[in-house]
Amino acid sequence: MTVTAVSPAISAPARLWSGFRSLPLAMRCGMAILALHVFVAMLGLLWTPYPYDAIGTGVGATGMSWQHPFGLDQLGRDVLSRVMYASHIVLYMGLLGTLFGMFFGTILGLLSALIGGWFDAILQRFFEAMISIPFLILGLIAISAAGPRLASNPTLIALVVGIVFLPRVARIARAAGLQVVTRDYVTAARLRGESYPAIVLQEVLPNCAGPLLVELALRAGYAPVLIGSFGFLGFGVRAPMPEWGLMLSENRDLIMITPITTIGPGLALATLVFGLNLFTDGLARYLDRAGLTTAR
Amino acid sequence: MVGKLILTRILYAVLTLLAVSVVVFAAVEILPGDITTRILGRSATPEAVAVLRKQLGYDQPAVMRYANWLGGVLQGDLGTSLSSQRSVNEVIGPRLANTAILALCAFVLSVPLSLLPAAAQALKPGSLLDTIASAINFVLLAIPDYLLASIMLILFVVVIPVLPSTSLVTDASGFWDWVRALILPSVVLAISISIYAIRLLRDGLIDVLSRDYVRMAELKGMPLRVVLWRHAFPNAIGPTLNITALNISYLIGGVIIVERVFSFPGFGSVMVGALQAGDAPLIEATVLIAALIYITANTLADIGSILTNPKLRSAQ
Amino acid sequence: MNKQLVAMDMNITNSVEIDDFSLDYFIGANGWVRILREVGLSIGRGEVLGLVGESGCGKSSLAYNLLGYRAGNSRIPSGRLMVGQTDVGRLDRAALDKVRGRRVALVPQNPTTALSPHLRIRSQLAEVLVEHGYATETTAIEARLKELLFLVGLTDTDRILQSYPYELSGGQQQRIVIAMALSCDPEVLVLDEPTTGLDVTTQGQIVRLLAMLKRRIGLAMLYVTHDLNLLSQIADRVVVMYAGSVVETAPTATLFAAPGHPYTRGLIGSIPNIRQTARGGLRLQGILRRSEIGAGCPFAARCQYRQPLCEARHPESVAIAVKHDVACHFWRDLPAFDPVPERLDARRGAAGKGEVVLEVEHLAISYKRVELLGRWLGRTRQPVVKDVSLRVRRGEIVSLVGESGSGKSTIAKAITGMIDHVAGSVTYGGSVDLGMLRSRPVEVLREIQYVFQNPDESLNPRRTVGAALARPISRFRKGLSAGERQELIVEALREVQLDESYVHRYPGQLSGGERQRVAIARGLVAQPKLLLCDEILSALDVSVQAKVIDVLLDLKKQGEIAMLFISHDLSVVRAISDRVVVLYKGTIMEEGPTDAIYQPPYHPYTHMLLNAVPEPGRVSAEGEPAGEPPRLDPAGCVFANRCLWKKGTVCDSAVPPMRQAGDLRIRCHHDLATLSELATWQNGERQAGAR
Repeated sequence: MTVTAVSPAISAPARLWSGFRSLPLAMRCGMAILALHVFVAMLGLLWTPYPYDAIGTGVGATGMSWQHPFGLDQLGRDVLSRVMYASHIVLYMGLLGTLFGMFFGTILGLLSALIGGWFDAILQRFFEAMISIPFLILGLIAISAAGPRLASNPTLIALVVGIVFLPRVARIARAAGLQVVTRDYVTAARLRGESYPAIVLQEVLPNCAGPLLVELALRAGYAPVLIGSFGFLGFGVRAPMPEWGLMLSENRDLIMITPITTIGPGLALATLVFGLNLFTDGLARYLDRAGLTTAR
Repeated sequence: MVGKLILTRILYAVLTLLAVSVVVFAAVEILPGDITTRILGRSATPEAVAVLRKQLGYDQPAVMRYANWLGGVLQGDLGTSLSSQRSVNEVIGPRLANTAILALCAFVLSVPLSLLPAAAQALKPGSLLDTIASAINFVLLAIPDYLLASIMLILFVVVIPVLPSTSLVTDASGFWDWVRALILPSVVLAISISIYAIRLLRDGLIDVLSRDYVRMAELKGMPLRVVLWRHAFPNAIGPTLNITALNISYLIGGVIIVERVFSFPGFGSVMVGALQAGDAPLIEATVLIAALIYITANTLADIGSILTNPKLRSAQ
Repeated sequence: MNKQLVAMDMNITNSVEIDDFSLDYFIGANGWVRILREVGLSIGRGEVLGLVGESGCGKSSLAYNLLGYRAGNSRIPSGRLMVGQTDVGRLDRAALDKVRGRRVALVPQNPTTALSPHLRIRSQLAEVLVEHGYATETTAIEARLKELLFLVGLTDTDRILQSYPYELSGGQQQRIVIAMALSCDPEVLVLDEPTTGLDVTTQGQIVRLLAMLKRRIGLAMLYVTHDLNLLSQIADRVVVMYAGSVVETAPTATLFAAPGHPYTRGLIGSIPNIRQTARGGLRLQGILRRSEIGAGCPFAARCQYRQPLCEARHPESVAIAVKHDVACHFWRDLPAFDPVPERLDARRGAAGKGEVVLEVEHLAISYKRVELLGRWLGRTRQPVVKDVSLRVRRGEIVSLVGESGSGKSTIAKAITGMIDHVAGSVTYGGSVDLGMLRSRPVEVLREIQYVFQNPDESLNPRRTVGAALARPISRFRKGLSAGERQELIVEALREVQLDESYVHRYPGQLSGGERQRVAIARGLVAQPKLLLCDEILSALDVSVQAKVIDVLLDLKKQGEIAMLFISHDLSVVRAISDRVVVLYKGTIMEEGPTDAIYQPPYHPYTHMLLNAVPEPGRVSAEGEPAGEPPRLDPAGCVFANRCLWKKGTVCDSAVPPMRQAGDLRIRCHHDLATLSELATWQNGERQAGAR
């Protein structure tokens, strides 16, 4: 703390900027793409060319035009407006779901590694069972189980994403934790008779931060894909609320006539995932360079 | 000793499958709405409801019903579909066969599609070839399978109209109908599997090539051919098998999407249909079958790894 | 053979001639970094050249370059690496394949990872012969393989050839790797720390084998190691490297008697010797940090004789005597090398006569199979510790000595309550029966502290030293103010000879020795009554070991803490302990006051261990025969199958009695008088002439 005291001559934004400049190029590109997405999402919340659910804003099922760059769907809704409005819904669901899965997955995984024995064995069987149900099916079952009243609720979809992620995160956390719990400093904490939560927080978690951060970024990149699949299969949010996967499904029949109505939402989804992946890749390299990716 | 290890793996597999059956049964159990209302509608008389409940065994506690259901499953009886009133085996059977053909095609395609680039990249990490291949991989990684399917449709149905947009096959379809129907879905599936597999394989191969004994083989003057095939390759089998198992599990999820996009009558569409209809026996059966495939693939991969490892093979 | 006829020039008769060789690595932000600087050395036919230096000095890089092997991000800015008349630094892959294994062969550091795990020994050995065209007929190959195995002292050839690497012991694996290196009659053998990680007795066997090979085959060897004492047993000449530069080259005997470079003197002075402790004034200070090296002498930053010139100019190597080169500006001005041995017992101080803190009686420990299925399919219990009794008093250091697998760490774990014992008792403070960890009161947890083997693992890399020390305080000494806590932390750091500035540092910024001292401080802030030290020196370079030993001896002088010191190093044990317990396969072989242990009578096992310790000036004595020891009869003495003084069949059929003479106890069928007669290892100061 004393060594890293920064001279007051350098302003905080300047320091942030130089910190940003030191990140890997891939990570910076990823961050730029993500920033653009966040901007569009906020814009979409405040303003769209047409209301996202307005029917008949033009001739249905037509292609690119100045008024409708992404074309119009069968009901004559402006695809660009829908893509923009969907942005914040997707980001919300993706972020919330990822954090939910990461939070509980990490806690359970690390505890499982630390406590071991029967606790670990039972939890592992349970998680193994959840993982052996293909993630899409697991998600669909969870959505169905929540019932029709909740089915299209974005928060529910986010929780389902979290449930799908949870056992997978727990497995990564446990593997990272297992490398750490045999370390002597953890044994030292055990010998002091400290409680499990204290050991997890003080000793284990900080040393699993690298792999878990990479996992977080990886999951965040996968969340929009999963949400899109739910929408695509008709289990996600319901029309008129827009979501990119749902729109791909809605406009599938128009693919012969106006491919742009498919390309639009597809582009939005692919660039978001691409940006997240770039960020993840850069983060992994950055942490690797700092010697953080392997649990110590 | 090796028998013991394999037995352990199989036992774990069975335990996991049992856990799956519990999870699925519980999840379906809490599906909203009374099962009888779902069948008979809201206006049914209490007597009719009671009769149906008895008929379906719903007057018994959940544990008993679970035991009965599991007993039936163990004897190969998956129950009766609620929506079609036909035996689940009958509903799933032909669809599963269709999907098996699709998955097999995709799998066969994916082997060279993933192994060749991964091996080429791993031999010279950091080279121009590796960099370009990684970049392409990276872009494709951002394209989910349903989007990839749409892009393929636009490319090969709209832009260059050579293939049908749907892959409807029936009992009457001939061989060439099948071929035309299968090309797009299996290529889409194969690509989306390979994208993930290439990265994992590349890293796994690089790991094996950096081992001490591979370097030692080089340092005792063995030519590249010996270093690769005798020293490195046998140790890459284990990780490759595991990645293959992962592919198979991915296939099970992937078929749902691909079948939907191309209207292919397979196992995936049965699953989605069952979920939409709240058809409890059908859901339970399909999930159990999917989990069984996944667990079997994983267990076989584990056993394969055990058998290729001389230490595990003979020690305990 | 032809070459020898052609060679008229002295230089060409050398098998290896390294001349002005430099090597750069491209390291990300720093650009090209010089790893080796104008290195020059030569090895004659039949000569063993030792290459010694601390970790990170570049000795392994040099060795691997002799095989034409270097990382992709490296370049050779200058110099030649001549093997015979080939410059291996300039060969392409195809040409290297014909040199490696055929003309220059490698014995790597870790045979366990260097052998392909999935190939039988036969095919791994045979492929070398086949690929180099040394032997192609099946019968010729088979004959050569047998010959090779006999050469390296493995007699059970058929079984070994048929084995997978994991089925062999570490010593056997190392012999196989040596056989592999010898298989095509190479001109040069490069040995990269070939005995590191092996037990001291196994190490002795390998060194004797290499010495025998040197006499019989007469090939040139480059022996890379950090262990100077080991080189005294095998090397003809020694090259000392520091931070990529050769600082001294001398015949082995000369090097030990009259080291010319301050670094060499420090290296010799830092080694704890089985007959004397480290010699204070000559010890190396600080650690090797490449970042501190400027344009001048690389050693300047750590040198006690440093002058302004040293930091300005790189010293040239000059011949100060025949075959003796030193790279030091001021070699003429250094004081004469005169190590004054300190009296061992003077340093150690008087033994504590305090009350008994820890009492272990008839302890027996078995490892349970914890695997789920293993329990159903038949439980197997292997006893790892049998009938062990020992006592530790306040102010006393008791050492547990033995090779790997002797059960010494297991005993320590049982005392901490991490594992359970099946029989016997562990009593603390005279009356408290120590149960498992979870059942212990906080007070007992505080009073028993444990220091771990590996300093890299014993501190949480994400927490500062201050935070690491604050944990035990907040756990065990509640209700202190922030100021008081800070005071305790600083005090504990002082006790381990570290200052306040360490509070804010992270473990990654400390050397191994500093980390180990912080780990000891973490134990001390709890104000323990019993400190368990589990191999705390084995992962440290010699120059930092000495500092940690000082800390332990200081603590002992204060007379408050009882210590159980676990080690495989007989030299260190002699330097610090009051009592010694010698363990073999979980059984006590010998036990007594330190001075009695290092004097006849010895237990045969203790004697074997003492003889295996390499020492300059003493030729390694006859050790146990090579190869697999015969099967052990469970009814008899656990050491019977390896014993050099075996009395007869009684050793196989009956458990030996514990014989007692005063405070010394020896478990052997021989009586003590006979054991005294059999002893050849002599205690006492080394004779000056022995150098």
